[in-house]
Amino acid sequence: MRSQRIVFTAYLVVIIAGLLYFTALGLGHR
Amino acid sequence: MSQQPEQRRGGFVRDNAISLFFGAIFLAALVGQAFSGWAEYNNQQVADGLATISLASYLTSASFGVDVVENWQSEYLQFLLYIWATVWFIQHGSPESKTPGEEGPETAADQKLGSRARASSPAWAKAGGWRTRVFSNSLVLVMGSIFVLSWLAQSLTGMAAYNEQQIVQLEDPVSWSTYVMSAEFWNRTMQNWQSEFLAVGSMAILAVFLRQRGSAESKPVGEPHESTGATA
Repeated sequence: MRSQRIVFTAYLVVIIAGLLYFTALGLGHR
Repeated sequence: MSQQPEQRRGGFVRDNAISLFFGAIFLAALVGQAFSGWAEYNNQQVADGLATISLASYLTSASFGVDVVENWQSEYLQFLLYIWATVWFIQHGSPESKTPGEEGPETAADQKLGSRARASSPAWAKAGGWRTRVFSNSLVLVMGSIFVLSWLAQSLTGMAAYNEQQIVQLEDPVSWSTYVMSAEFWNRTMQNWQSEFLAVGSMAILAVFLRQRGSAESKPVGEPHESTGATA
């Protein structure tokens, strides 16, 4: 399960980073 | 479940080929969107008699942001609804469906919960109480959270992009509460939702009568149209 956990974590990191980035982008342009 | 006596393990790439393939084409498409979106943005700037912007400026623009996250929210909503709807509804003959009579959350034994868990079951499936309740719904909880947060990000980036346009047109910017009730916000939202719902509905019903040999999403080619919930 070790290698699946790496990919699982990588997906969550990319998604969370994307959500934070685009939320900050929206808030920053107000 | 069919004849897969031993699970053959490969290396990292083979073991994760589906996720790696989609991750790679996601990144490639995002890069493609960045370049084509930048070009389109600058075409509009020129048409409006305004200065063009750098790629770096485009990537930090609300316009790029809203174009990305409005698609994210609809995709996560699609899978969220599919996961939830397939608990409660069946589609006779579909490999995506449980068999008639199995609608609902099923028994602890069916779901290998608590005292009915196996030695190899995840710890939170064995634990009982709130941990088992949370873990039992964790896929919907996470997909739902991503949907809500990306829809929120769409509303914020959409508002900022809309307001930049308002200023160019010498009109007043709108507040967030005004934007989330606007035709622009709902048009962006619904145009994404309609396509997702059509595709999901198509998948559920087309797979009753059509096959893809070798696909985990299809029934075996020789499986009767009648049989429900059969995957290769």
